[in-house]
Amino acid sequence: MGIITVLWEKWTEFRRDFYKITVAAMISPLMYLIIFGMGIQTTSHGEPYLHFLIPGIVAMATMTGSFSAIAQNMSVQRLYEKALDQVMVSPTPLWQFILGQILGGSLRGLYAGGVILLLTFPIRTDLIFNGMSVLILFLNGMVFSTIALTLSFLAKSYTDAPRYTSYIIMPMSFLCNTFFSTDQMPNGFRQLISLLPLSQASGMVRSISNGEKPGSFGFVVLFLYLIVFGLISVLFIYKKKNL
Amino acid sequence: MIELKNLTKCFDGFTAVDHLSLSIESGEFFGLLGPNGAGKTTTISMISTVLLPTQGEILIDGKRLDRKASEQKRKLSVITQEYSMRQDMTMEEVMEYQGRLYFIPKKTIRQRTEALLEFAGLLEYRKRTVRHLSGGMKRKLMICRALLIEPEILLLDEPTAGMDALSRRQMWNLLRRLNRNHMTMILTTHYMEEAQALCGRVALINRGRLQKLDTPENLITELGAFAVDEFAGESLVSRYFHDREEAIRYLSGAGADAALRASTLEDVFVECAGRRLM
Repeated sequence: MGIITVLWEKWTEFRRDFYKITVAAMISPLMYLIIFGMGIQTTSHGEPYLHFLIPGIVAMATMTGSFSAIAQNMSVQRLYEKALDQVMVSPTPLWQFILGQILGGSLRGLYAGGVILLLTFPIRTDLIFNGMSVLILFLNGMVFSTIALTLSFLAKSYTDAPRYTSYIIMPMSFLCNTFFSTDQMPNGFRQLISLLPLSQASGMVRSISNGEKPGSFGFVVLFLYLIVFGLISVLFIYKKKNL
Repeated sequence: MIELKNLTKCFDGFTAVDHLSLSIESGEFFGLLGPNGAGKTTTISMISTVLLPTQGEILIDGKRLDRKASEQKRKLSVITQEYSMRQDMTMEEVMEYQGRLYFIPKKTIRQRTEALLEFAGLLEYRKRTVRHLSGGMKRKLMICRALLIEPEILLLDEPTAGMDALSRRQMWNLLRRLNRNHMTMILTTHYMEEAQALCGRVALINRGRLQKLDTPENLITELGAFAVDEFAGESLVSRYFHDREEAIRYLSGAGADAALRASTLEDVFVECAGRRLM
């Protein structure tokens, strides 16, 4: 029930800011597609670079869409508007609030990814996107919503949210299997980057788009992130003394 | 009944509330008074579970209150000092969100929202977003939101701050009416005349510690029901007397600018808190 309340809240937010959300979801991925995919026309493993780029950009869009839907919003609600107090004093079980935020954030990420897929649709790439791709993108969105939630509970000021984007989202966007394969990285660094959630999500979506089966290791990594950050979020909301 | 047992809250070595223990009966109108930084808002925040105590506990009807205690939290509603609302929601959405958080059926939410916004004179603005409301309208909306759930216990943290005199009187009447219907009220306020007019009992706290706890009448009687104000240099000094004749005798020997009046709760507050501040 509490989950539905949070999803309703997210829906009112989405309805109100529909154009802003849609434009924001499109701009950077579209720029990357135009510059790297169409402007600098290269090939990767004998294939047009766009074939490599599109799955990565879609995964990246779900990451940024989910993260920004939660990190900024929750920090402002907690520290500036104090609107989180309304939730804290209410009888809604707080774990349901957390789960609602994670699902709501993930849906926003999925929407952002969907917008990019729609935009790339006219480019005839023969890439495959199926139900499994949606599931992976949804899971990726859940992971980044959960990370955003944890960070927003740690934020000391509502201006911290843009900093988190600079520290986490920006480096991951460039390093995690979006623009180039992690296989090309030096030893040690490659293994580290491969363990980051976006590397796994991009890799799995790319495998599907090429007609291959995604490896189960990626699911394990994503679920691990989801469980760890989910538990931290729940722990914070129930136990943090000065929320 | 609400019981605060040995309630303590520390922030980075600073003790905001210091071993506060008191009981508030069901249906009571209780005032929590003290100077700025006394720990009033911190206490309210702990009762609303936004802050967790460093030590001690809060019981509602004998059951421990914490963030998991949905049954006890269902009885509580709070009007905070700050406007704690989503700024991008409309009035209607704020009310619906509140109703949903308390699992109130949608039809009931709609009916109560209309009645409350009508009562507060806000109905015609129900589609307006919170950020476009005046301070007074936001305050009224917070009251409507708190009352939507028909709570058993209403926590009021400076509810009339920033209100004009007329709105404040209307608010007093509303709070009295709600209290007559057995709603327990816990009020923090800077306005001593407000506490004296509304509260059956008041607790004076300073630096997080309980200084006095009694009815306003008893506290005034204890101080002295008669006050003589006179100037000592540039400072206004008040002297308190239990006996009217004694006060008149003192007045006759005092300067021409001295005046006799009835003591108020503000005198108790100033005597209790003010001396420590000086």
